[in-house]
Amino acid sequence: MKKVVFATIFILILATSLVKNSTKEIEDKILMINENISSLKSELGDVLLEYNYLSSPDKLTQYQTQYFIKDLIKINIMKIKEITEKNNLIKISDLVKRRSYDER
Amino acid sequence: MRDKKNNVILEEYDNEFSYERSKTNLNIEFNRVAFIFFVFLIISVIYSIQLLHLGSLKKMMNNIKPTITKKNYRADIIDRNGNYLVKTVDSINVGIHPAKVIDKKHLLLMLNHIYKNKNFSEIKNKLDQDKFFYLEKNIRPKRYEELMMLGDKSISSEASLIRLYPQDNLFSHIIGQIDGDNNGISGIEKFFNEELKKINEPLKLTVDLDIQFLIREELLRFQKIFKAKGSAAILMNVNNGEILSMVSLPDFNLNKRETIKDVNYINRITKGTYELGSVFKTFTIASGINAGLIEPDTEFLDSKKIISCGKNHNIEEYDNKMPSDLTVEQILIKSGNIGSVRIARKVGIERHKSFLKTIGILDKIDFDIAEVGKPLAIDWNEGCKLETIAFGHGITTTILQLAKGYSIITNGGFDIKPTLIKKISDSNEKKKVLKNDVSKKMNSILRKVVSEGTAKLVNVEGYQVGGKTGTAEQVNNSIYSNIKINTLASIFPTENPKYVLVVMLESTKNNKEYIYEYRDGSGFKLKGSPRNTAGWTSVEAAGKIIDKIGPILATKYIEN
Repeated sequence: MKKVVFATIFILILATSLVKNSTKEIEDKILMINENISSLKSELGDVLLEYNYLSSPDKLTQYQTQYFIKDLIKINIMKIKEITEKNNLIKISDLVKRRSYDER
Repeated sequence: MRDKKNNVILEEYDNEFSYERSKTNLNIEFNRVAFIFFVFLIISVIYSIQLLHLGSLKKMMNNIKPTITKKNYRADIIDRNGNYLVKTVDSINVGIHPAKVIDKKHLLLMLNHIYKNKNFSEIKNKLDQDKFFYLEKNIRPKRYEELMMLGDKSISSEASLIRLYPQDNLFSHIIGQIDGDNNGISGIEKFFNEELKKINEPLKLTVDLDIQFLIREELLRFQKIFKAKGSAAILMNVNNGEILSMVSLPDFNLNKRETIKDVNYINRITKGTYELGSVFKTFTIASGINAGLIEPDTEFLDSKKIISCGKNHNIEEYDNKMPSDLTVEQILIKSGNIGSVRIARKVGIERHKSFLKTIGILDKIDFDIAEVGKPLAIDWNEGCKLETIAFGHGITTTILQLAKGYSIITNGGFDIKPTLIKKISDSNEKKKVLKNDVSKKMNSILRKVVSEGTAKLVNVEGYQVGGKTGTAEQVNNSIYSNIKINTLASIFPTENPKYVLVVMLESTKNNKEYIYEYRDGSGFKLKGSPRNTAGWTSVEAAGKIIDKIGPILATKYIEN
């Protein structure tokens, strides 16, 4: 009985050491990944800022007047269609009708 | 030779030590093994304590949010779709230590090669003063590289942070400014000053960049057309109070960091309090319906053209052709003053006051920016206060509160809190403050005001716009002037309202060249504005705004 108890304790100690060792390795990996994510996040933020600036409505309007010959056209909501898929069947319906925007 | 005798005495030695093979030899081995295990046990206990300690330490570390100590740090601000409205970016400042310069002439020559348009006599003077000075702040990477390539030890750089506003003017009244000490002095920057210095994640607002841009463009256009001194527009979700757009003109470029002292740059949505005229008639009728005193088809017969109240105060219709017999619905459609007064008298001071308080018109509103105006206090016992308030005179409020009032009246009677901050989940339970049938009846009447009444120019096909116009005269030094405040408070779609749009143009003038296109399907066009009223100014602007933002609202914010 005592041998079993000692053996259990010994195994537990061994297991604890192994777990701690592997935990430390994982922690190191997490730290490294976090550091990488942090720098990537910063880079992403800068790229997004650039993207937001270049694709801002103000800039797009500027490009439109610079490069497009024709003016942009206004979308008539009555002409907007909605595609829905049900049982492998595609259904095209009027957006306004579906949302009951139309007059009664 | 004498024989030496050695006597050997043999004694029986009774040895006391007797070695016996112990039958329980195990005891000794057990002690040793026990000792070894005891040592192991101690080690394991130490290990366990250390592990537990590390575990708790890690937990503690997780609980403590890392304090951002970077100088001048402020969190970014984004719109509801994640577009940057404000971003703090890393920057580099480059300066020169004159004491470390070996050859001043050579350095100036090299700097002249990099900076073509810099004042070099000033740099030369600074070099002679032997005191560190900045050559360029927030330097571009390419120029920084060029300077570093000079390899001069006197040139040093330091990292810093700068706050960029990629949308320039677009959100100036919402975001506000910061001072040189990195403290917010207006708008969100001021109201959330401490939070912005602490939080790691960007602050997400409810506004939509595209919608804000389109509304501002239209407002700028109509401000020019009607030569308005200023203008404002707010688009808000009537069900949760989220503000999708809030524009006040004139605005300013946040990147220029100018000190704004001109009062014309006031935030006309939140700070400016105005007498808004007939848009208040909606509240009078809603108050009567909520009190159960009137219905849309309740008739008010034999109304006089002029009624008196207080001390020699006469109230009359703006239009002499106003019929004497009108239903409640017709009173709002035709914007009748006398009819509104009769309804208000039926409701009474206490009930109407309580109603206006309930929908948040009378008191200062609790909002997300510092610039909030306080409506003027009302002396309800003075002369004919109830009567004038019935048609929107003698009562002031902000455009934001007007939008809130219209939201509550049309959303089923639920209280809302206008907000600019996007919340992760909408967990707050809705509080019903008006009776069930008020919204249904009011939405129907507001729709008719647009389809048959004074706001026909905002009757954009497909959106079921409802609303009410308000043409008021600006009060200067307690005297009504000729300066007009033209307002349209609209909601859409009236069948199940989702948005409230309020457009206000201040101090407008008629435009003889502008061509109005009627929205009744006739294709009729009218050149020149017949009257300087809301129906011919802010209603037209609101119609054009809905034309542009409508498809975005209908497709981008579709609810399944």
